[in-house]
Amino acid sequence: MIPADIVALAGVESTLPVLQSGTSFLDGLGQFLSPEALVSVFVEGLAKSAIYVMIAAGLSLIFGLMGVLNFAHGTLTMIGAYLAGIVMVVLVGGATGQWGRVLAFFGALAVVFVLVGGFGGLVEVGLIRKLYDRPPIAQILLTFGVALVLEELARIIVLFYGLQPTSEWQEALGTKPAVLATRHSLGPLSIRGLALFEILLGFLTVVGIWAFLTRTRYGLFIRAGSEDAEMAEALGIDVRRVFTVVFALGAGIAGMAGAVLMWDQIWGANVPLAAETLLPAFVVVIIGGLGTFRGTVVGAIVVGMVDAVTTWWFVNVVTWTWLPDVAVFLVLVGMLILRPQGLYGVEEVGGH
Amino acid sequence: MAISSETRLVGRLNASWPVEHLRNHGVHLVVVLALVAYPGFYHLLTNSPVSAEAVAILPRMPTMIALLYFGLFAMSFDFISGYTGYLSFGHAAFYGTGAYFVILVANGKAPLLPAGTPFMVSLLLGGILAALLALAIGLVSFRLSGVYFAMITLGFSQVMYVFIRGWDYVASNPRDGPTVGSTHSEGFEIGVPYVDQLNLAIGSFSGEEVELFGHTLGTYTTSFYMVGLVVLVSYFALQRIVHSPFGRVMVAIRDNEERAEAVGYNTLVYKLGAFVISGFFGGIAGGLFAGYARSVTPENTFYFLTAGDALLASIIGGFGTLAGPLYGHLFDETIREFLSNAGLGGGLLPYLRQRLGEGVLGTEIFGGLTVEGFITAALNGHAALYVGLVFVLFVLYLPNGILGTLRQWLGGPVSKRVPELLRGLR
Repeated sequence: MIPADIVALAGVESTLPVLQSGTSFLDGLGQFLSPEALVSVFVEGLAKSAIYVMIAAGLSLIFGLMGVLNFAHGTLTMIGAYLAGIVMVVLVGGATGQWGRVLAFFGALAVVFVLVGGFGGLVEVGLIRKLYDRPPIAQILLTFGVALVLEELARIIVLFYGLQPTSEWQEALGTKPAVLATRHSLGPLSIRGLALFEILLGFLTVVGIWAFLTRTRYGLFIRAGSEDAEMAEALGIDVRRVFTVVFALGAGIAGMAGAVLMWDQIWGANVPLAAETLLPAFVVVIIGGLGTFRGTVVGAIVVGMVDAVTTWWFVNVVTWTWLPDVAVFLVLVGMLILRPQGLYGVEEVGGH
Repeated sequence: MAISSETRLVGRLNASWPVEHLRNHGVHLVVVLALVAYPGFYHLLTNSPVSAEAVAILPRMPTMIALLYFGLFAMSFDFISGYTGYLSFGHAAFYGTGAYFVILVANGKAPLLPAGTPFMVSLLLGGILAALLALAIGLVSFRLSGVYFAMITLGFSQVMYVFIRGWDYVASNPRDGPTVGSTHSEGFEIGVPYVDQLNLAIGSFSGEEVELFGHTLGTYTTSFYMVGLVVLVSYFALQRIVHSPFGRVMVAIRDNEERAEAVGYNTLVYKLGAFVISGFFGGIAGGLFAGYARSVTPENTFYFLTAGDALLASIIGGFGTLAGPLYGHLFDETIREFLSNAGLGGGLLPYLRQRLGEGVLGTEIFGGLTVEGFITAALNGHAALYVGLVFVLFVLYLPNGILGTLRQWLGGPVSKRVPELLRGLR
């Protein structure tokens, strides 16, 4: 999930002197509890949470309404990253100013949302719709197969254009404006520009989805369908069309998450991004409770904070490279043991 | 209809038990004989006038060996997932445990076990270790069901994957995984431990060659038979369990767990038992893999997509049929090899390169893309594309898989219905 070169990029390392490995636990704890370290870990945690919520929100919406655990979700994120990269590389030249680049990025977000969302809608109508009368596992399996096919197609296309599928697309990374690539000092703190940008985008995503679900008529349909699809249908809502819209919406959000990751050096546009985002997205959705949007937001914050804290420890005190990844999955396991339905989950959803 | 079943019953009662037994296992016998004959068949065809076609289409011997041990892993996955309905998405943990254990023992890194421990012993211990792991994971995970069960097992296996990838005790570069070192340079032997005459070593380089009726069986063929022996014994053990009262309860749990509970079965005990058995054979499969390949990586053992491959094999072969995953994996591997093997001796690409003339290969299709460029791009290393497409088609149109559809079509298990149909023809 987190590449080896994270040490250089983790974003917290320059706020504090890097200690030699073998630092005693208590020294490490003392370092960690200093206000600067705590605040910078908190900001990093928020940035990670923002990324996780963008990755997982679409998955959560789709599962909540349709009961389909979409294994192609990470693949859609990966495709979104490449599409956004294409838009950015085409639009942005060496002379493009900082704010021009940010503007182009929002253009890329819109393009990705429309294209990936439209594609998601097509997949729902063309493939998944055929399987609604089968046991739920059939839909999971189908999305698993779709993910395999899309991932390999992406690999073929990327190779065809002479790029390495397994390493980040540097040209797309290079379109990042300087204001986001550098650190900014806020009082005694120094914070990555991109972290702030990610927090902003994550916040907008959450507010946007929340407003859509609670303030629009269509959101009402979706909430009704999640609660009881048959009853909603009996009341005259065309649930099938709502399914298509939600699948397209979820896919579009996944694609937009990919667009954000394209600029993040820890992730970047590459083919393995599909599996790297799918697993944390599962963890976030399960921790929050399958099918609740509020749970997904809280789950993303929990996972983001755990990730940031353990990354800090691994960068500054211990040498266990596996610590952040193991911690994230241990949170999943622990949550499933203590509260199987997740933080806000309803017992019935997901086969209880 | 009633008369025919009655005569069948009389016929059965009259037959002595060995004949009866053979009749029940007739189809098994045919399959085993076909597999036994495969190396000779492959050798004959690849040295015949149609050798180019045979090389292109038939799976190579290393692929067939992989078919056996990975087939066993897919069966163990299907044993829990297909028969009890609990999708064990983290099954790679057991495969990886068996594989890593065998190599750690051979490298003298397992406590209390010398590097010279016979392979059969370390294989068995690896299986038991995997079974204990299954017990521990199962105790926690069987409080959940459905998607949650799949996710918690996935969580456990990913924890182990990430951990083993960073643990420098197992290998000098844990990301690349361990390799059998100089402490165990000889091949891993399958047979009766401590009796040298009853053992044969496996492995592509370290395996033994055997003289038999004036023919030399190469290391691949020997490995194929010896790995096959272990897989065959494991298959019959699993098959016995599936058809025992225990197996009936497993199916009852899949069909309706509440009812099974209401009838009076303690379903947790049965689920745990099935999971432990499944973990044991998953570990055996991993141990066979490590014994044959002599080096493993975290990616081809503990990674969740290893369990994904077992899932592919199970769905294509037939979910909830024990032998199905083996056929599914054969189908899967044949496609992979035929459509994406570059220059290793098998597959469509070398065949086309050889058969199509320079003129055809050099022809432009459009925009500077030649026929050769196109077939190289399409047929080199993109197996996942084709396997994915086949998988999607199976899910959409043949949800019961190869064996399941065959069963539906014949109206019962193949091993029962085929002999009956044959008798009907007579």
